[in-house]
Amino acid sequence: MSHPTLQELRDQLGCLEETQRRFSRTIPIADAVDRWMPHGGLPVGCIHEVKGASVASALAFSSILSARIAGEQGNIVYIAPDRSLHPLGLLPYGVRLDRLLLVSARRSQDIAWATMEALRCSQVSAVMAILDSADLTSSRRLQLAAESSGATGFLLGPVTSAPIAAPITRWKVSSHVGKPGQRFDEPAWALDLLYCRGGRPGSWTIEWREQRLNTLFNQLATQTTREALAG
Amino acid sequence: MARRFLSLFCPDVTDDRLTQLVEWCDRYSPLAAADGSDGIILDITGCIHLFGGEDKLFLDLQRRFHRMGIQSQGAIADTWGIAWALARYGEQSIVHGGNAASALALLPVEALRLPYEIVLELRRLGLSTISAVRKIPRSSLAARFGSTLLWRLDRIFQQAEEPLTPWRPAAPYRASRILAEPISTVSAVEYVLHDLLQEICKRLERNRLGSRHMDLACYRLDGTVDRCEIRTSKPTRSIPHLMRLFEGVLETLKSGFGFETFVLSVLDVEALHPTQLSLSQANPVEDESSFNALVDRFGMKLGFDQVNRIRVRESYLPEQAVEFRSAAVSPIAGAEWPAYRIRPVRLIHPPMSIKISILIPGGSPVRFFIGERQRRIVRLEGPERLTAEWWRDSNSRWGTRDYYRIEDDQGLRFWIFRDSSEHWFLHGHFA
Repeated sequence: MSHPTLQELRDQLGCLEETQRRFSRTIPIADAVDRWMPHGGLPVGCIHEVKGASVASALAFSSILSARIAGEQGNIVYIAPDRSLHPLGLLPYGVRLDRLLLVSARRSQDIAWATMEALRCSQVSAVMAILDSADLTSSRRLQLAAESSGATGFLLGPVTSAPIAAPITRWKVSSHVGKPGQRFDEPAWALDLLYCRGGRPGSWTIEWREQRLNTLFNQLATQTTREALAG
Repeated sequence: MARRFLSLFCPDVTDDRLTQLVEWCDRYSPLAAADGSDGIILDITGCIHLFGGEDKLFLDLQRRFHRMGIQSQGAIADTWGIAWALARYGEQSIVHGGNAASALALLPVEALRLPYEIVLELRRLGLSTISAVRKIPRSSLAARFGSTLLWRLDRIFQQAEEPLTPWRPAAPYRASRILAEPISTVSAVEYVLHDLLQEICKRLERNRLGSRHMDLACYRLDGTVDRCEIRTSKPTRSIPHLMRLFEGVLETLKSGFGFETFVLSVLDVEALHPTQLSLSQANPVEDESSFNALVDRFGMKLGFDQVNRIRVRESYLPEQAVEFRSAAVSPIAGAEWPAYRIRPVRLIHPPMSIKISILIPGGSPVRFFIGERQRRIVRLEGPERLTAEWWRDSNSRWGTRDYYRIEDDQGLRFWIFRDSSEHWFLHGHFA
């Protein structure tokens, strides 16, 4: 554990940055990941970037988190340049289709506009958008919109796409070879936390099973954890 | 109350211009229509007081046509037929009930608007004026000319209704502003619009209705009309929300020399019951931050066909199973999807042709190629057989399909199928 004085200083800095207020509401991801995150889970009302080795993985991972934020009644908005999303594929991840609004916009500035509008709406729980890029200014504006309304934004894209300028967290979801007999709607992923404001990067192998995300403690994950704890 | 018709005769205009003018005449009455290829007919019943009397209305119309440089003659009378006749052949321009017969008496028979052959025939018989025709007993006219002539006479002299089909259906709610000076800036138009919305929304509220479709007609000085429309996914009468929707489209208006008249019509209304305002909330429930308002903004900017809700259909074929319904139409309940039919997160439209290598003929695939790149299959589930739905011919392209869920050695998961002619396709990506 870190030194108590250090922790105190960190808290003071946090107050200055208003991070305490900003990250007061979180949702759980998976046990080991939550313990790792500085606020005990994924902060709600923020912008998160999710890159995927395939967009499908990034989409499924953010769907799980969006569905948790939305609960029974919350609205989820999905904004993309095409109609390749197959809504039935999101059912296993807990998304309620009657609460899902799909928005297609071909031009990237329309997608950026729609994302902004959706994040401003206080009756939206989560926004998933396939966004080309966002510079520092537009990323800050998205963050401010999310903070004012309490909506959570997931900006999705393939790993090859340009990173978003200033997200609160940045994740990478890669597919992980499944065990024999593992269901295709209960996949395993290699999850990397590439960036986390106020926290440290980390890596886990997680599995979606029976509506829960479980961390698989394989060699790699324990090793990184041990290294991180030592450092 | 007697109905009043205004007929305009403008022989020099082209068809396109006439259509424009009909639309423009909408400012006087919503019941306007093109009358043949050289005239316009307006049912001005009930609109007269808005202009301070028939003579004022008529003067205003003539002045504007004159300013636009259009030659026109017009007349106002109790029936379409009388107004038509007076506009083209008469001297009086405003005629009331009892005076109509005397005003028409000396007009030529052409004023009866009859087919050319009948006019010729009448002339040949020496019946050159309307009064001469009316002196002949009906039975003789019927024997000689058939029903056409009598039918025309009845319509003209109000014994039979002559229905007018307006160029578009009259809006159930309508408010207008006529300005003293033309305006051209967007902010000025917004000011007028706000005023109009207040009037309309108050009326809608009284009748517990909300608007689904509104149209703002802006009448330009040069006799053309610019319109902007807004549609909403749910009925609404919230002024801030409607103003915000209009903001996006007002910029497309081309003011030219300026707008002088504005007409706001509600083309589609639906029941909207008053909602209880919450005391704690600063804004009422239906403010612009609400979800419905967001859907409307999306629809207005991107088109409502780009803003969709999902309905699950009773079909297992992936192309048919989901309907992307426009968010503008009211939702209907969908089917329940069985959880054991596992579907990918993304679909490829249309399915991509791939090559497969198989060890035993008819067996399951071991490798597949996307383009040149080879992928080894480490896990495979299937087949899930989907037979073509015979009642839809458009889907018989692949016949019966056998779907496999596969995972390659990188952990990437795909949905592939073999069609009835043993070709393989990649159809989707699993997470």
